[in-house]
Amino acid sequence: MTMTQSPSPPNSNDDKPQAVSEVAQEANQAQQDVGAEAAKQSVPASVFVNSEPIREDQVSNAVKFLSHPKVRGSPVIYRRSFLERKGLTKEEIDEAFRRVPDPTSSSKPASLNQDGQAKSSSNVQTQAPIQTPQPVAVAPTGIASLEGRQFHWYHAVSAVGLLAASGCGTALLIKKVIIPKLKLWVRKVVLEEENDYAKKIDAKPSLAEEAAAAAKAAAAAASDVAKASQEMLNSKNEERRRFEEFMSLMDAQVQEMKSMSNSIRKLGGQASSSGRVFSDHDDHRVSASSTKQSYANGKVDVNVQLEGRSSTPPASAEPPHPKSYMEIMEMIQRGEKPSNIREVNDMPPNPNQPLSNPLIAPRTKPWDAQNGSDHQVLQSQTSAEGLNQNGQDDGLNYLLDDESSTPWWQRKNVRITEIENEDEVKDTGPYGVRTNEQPPPPIQRTWVPPRPPPVAMPEAAEAIRRPKSTPKETATQEQSADGQSAAHPSEVTDELQRITKMSESVGALEMNGGFSTGNSAVIQEQENSYGEN
Amino acid sequence: MPVFKTPFNGYSVRFSPFYESRLAVATAQNFGILGNGRVHVIDLSPSSPVINELIAFDTADGVYDVAWSESHDSVLVAAVADGSMKVYDTALPPQANPVRSLKEHAREVHGLDYNPTRRDSFLSASWDDSVKLWTLDRPASLRTFREHAYCVYSVAWNPKHADVFASASGDCTVRIWDVREPGSTMIIPGHEHEILSCDWNKYDECLIATASVDKSIKIWDVRNYRVPVSALNGHGYAVRKIKFSPHRRNLLVSCSYDMTVCLWDFMVEDALVGRYDHHTEFAVGVDLSVLVDGLMASTGWDELVYVWQQGMDPRTA
Repeated sequence: MTMTQSPSPPNSNDDKPQAVSEVAQEANQAQQDVGAEAAKQSVPASVFVNSEPIREDQVSNAVKFLSHPKVRGSPVIYRRSFLERKGLTKEEIDEAFRRVPDPTSSSKPASLNQDGQAKSSSNVQTQAPIQTPQPVAVAPTGIASLEGRQFHWYHAVSAVGLLAASGCGTALLIKKVIIPKLKLWVRKVVLEEENDYAKKIDAKPSLAEEAAAAAKAAAAAASDVAKASQEMLNSKNEERRRFEEFMSLMDAQVQEMKSMSNSIRKLGGQASSSGRVFSDHDDHRVSASSTKQSYANGKVDVNVQLEGRSSTPPASAEPPHPKSYMEIMEMIQRGEKPSNIREVNDMPPNPNQPLSNPLIAPRTKPWDAQNGSDHQVLQSQTSAEGLNQNGQDDGLNYLLDDESSTPWWQRKNVRITEIENEDEVKDTGPYGVRTNEQPPPPIQRTWVPPRPPPVAMPEAAEAIRRPKSTPKETATQEQSADGQSAAHPSEVTDELQRITKMSESVGALEMNGGFSTGNSAVIQEQENSYGEN
Repeated sequence: MPVFKTPFNGYSVRFSPFYESRLAVATAQNFGILGNGRVHVIDLSPSSPVINELIAFDTADGVYDVAWSESHDSVLVAAVADGSMKVYDTALPPQANPVRSLKEHAREVHGLDYNPTRRDSFLSASWDDSVKLWTLDRPASLRTFREHAYCVYSVAWNPKHADVFASASGDCTVRIWDVREPGSTMIIPGHEHEILSCDWNKYDECLIATASVDKSIKIWDVRNYRVPVSALNGHGYAVRKIKFSPHRRNLLVSCSYDMTVCLWDFMVEDALVGRYDHHTEFAVGVDLSVLVDGLMASTGWDELVYVWQQGMDPRTA
């Protein structure tokens, strides 16, 4: 038997995920993967674990998403599900959840006083898509909330509109109401004047006399006035003369005084006349022109989209349901029950009914066989002869395949027949349980139990597998037969160690090219266990 | 190619991993909206293209999925719409069935998968947003994985790593889990719409395919899951179920509400390599045989189960 490269399970922890033997190339690649992940995780990681580092931009997007007040009101599971759908890994989501309380409390300390401020600053800090429904929602509802500078122009536009409307209204009003009134009034006045004129003609003569009398009186008055004004003029002239005389006297006195002061100055020292200088201080106020209003941009550019996702299928496709399907749905919705349902009792009559013994050993899978360890190559070569012996393991006694016809379902297309020879399912050798079988082929093809992945840390595996009270078994075929005995927890660790040792021994034996007594010992044990049950 | 007519609308079909000619079919009355359910175990007759029913089990509520045990050749598990799972043993007399009723989910159980590597445990995916891990010998679940935000439609064990599985959910993500870890180890936000099915590539354990309501199937490599390896478009409506071939590395089959079953080779430029439009209603269940290369089966709401060999027309006699 050839020395093979089949990795025996407990060789190294790195090989653990590759428990089934593989081509060396794949093993190297797996080791590289594991090597990359080993730095991250202490437990030797498999390919099925995400090994990417945490992406900071995704985490910050997630934090913004989670900080939004609307998101905060939603259940946690929906928040997580949303972030997962966006492609965040578990670590990134956990990190975002961890960070969420901190940024909101540190960056908005003062804004908690005013709701408007908080809302506007949260508008600034959080993401666009939440806000696009917000302004759209608020604007149609009117100008109820005046917070936020975005609503200014809405306000102005509506004010202008109102003014225009009122202007039009008043214009119409004027046209329709006031002008007719004006016209009426004018007409009325004209009519009155006409009436008055008519009356005046009658009273004309008396008027003339009165006018004459009035004119005389006026003349008399005028003459009186003339006289009076003349007197006033005279008096004014006299006053002017007197004033001028007085002025001249004053001038003379002033001159005398000047000369006297000059003489005094000359005589006595010079007296300084102090004058005050008054200067006006202009208050130059520098007016700070700092009233620049900054409009915060309400939209923050964030990648995370928050539009509500609908879970309906793509737009085109609601597949056409069968007609009776729709009928039944309508019946259900109306509350009717379809008539063909009957009461069925499908409970087990004996819940502890033991299962019957398996008649056939499990067959190796074609993918296991093909990629199998090299010691199975020998099996495949010899199995070419036993190609048609698949039928013999069926529990039905019909035509054996060395006779003329193969079952119809095995008739394949010619082109794939050749290839299939190598891929045929490996026959698992019959046990002594079978009675009416052909004599086994010359080389004993024995059943190799699928190797369970070795337990690197039995304690951890056991701890994880202990869901409630009883632990899960790491079962290969042999152990499941002994199932009842392993229910005692005390024996579990022993079981695990026994299992790992047994698989090791099987692996070791196989490495030696194994159809040796090791395998038969395993099979003997199984036979015995079947015999017991 | 034979046809099997079920009285109720088909929901799922699975080949037995032990017997080449045996299949299980999950059906539900009234399209699964409200009504009884039935699990059929059918068998292909070798000589003539005829399908016989071996046994059928009735349930109180519709059966959405069925899975064969990998350890016991006669045992199968059915996922029922009332939140329970029924375990049947065909080797026992019919009166002894079901042998177990596992009721823990709060809502419909929509998906089941049996571990093909360790063969001892199976997973249930439910509309109550959780996935549960069970073994046949225990009446209670071993683990509950609750992280999805919406219905979990499908679970699939990794074909190489016995502890790793994936779940596809209506919250538009696929999560990779390891039963040794308390929570999911990877989240793939694969589609913008609900993901109805997922399956691992049997020959490259890092490749996983997801099928979504957005009519596309995407192939992802978990080592670089931000960008899909490939996107397969061609279905006219939501893709309901996908399955990677157990025999060919690049082959995958899908069924859709557009009533077709399609065969894809995702490594090829023009990925669609086959299309079967034999169903006259939604095709909701499809499976490829592990034991016989090229053998495939499908079922749909037209109450028919077809079994045919790849390359042949399923409707020919």
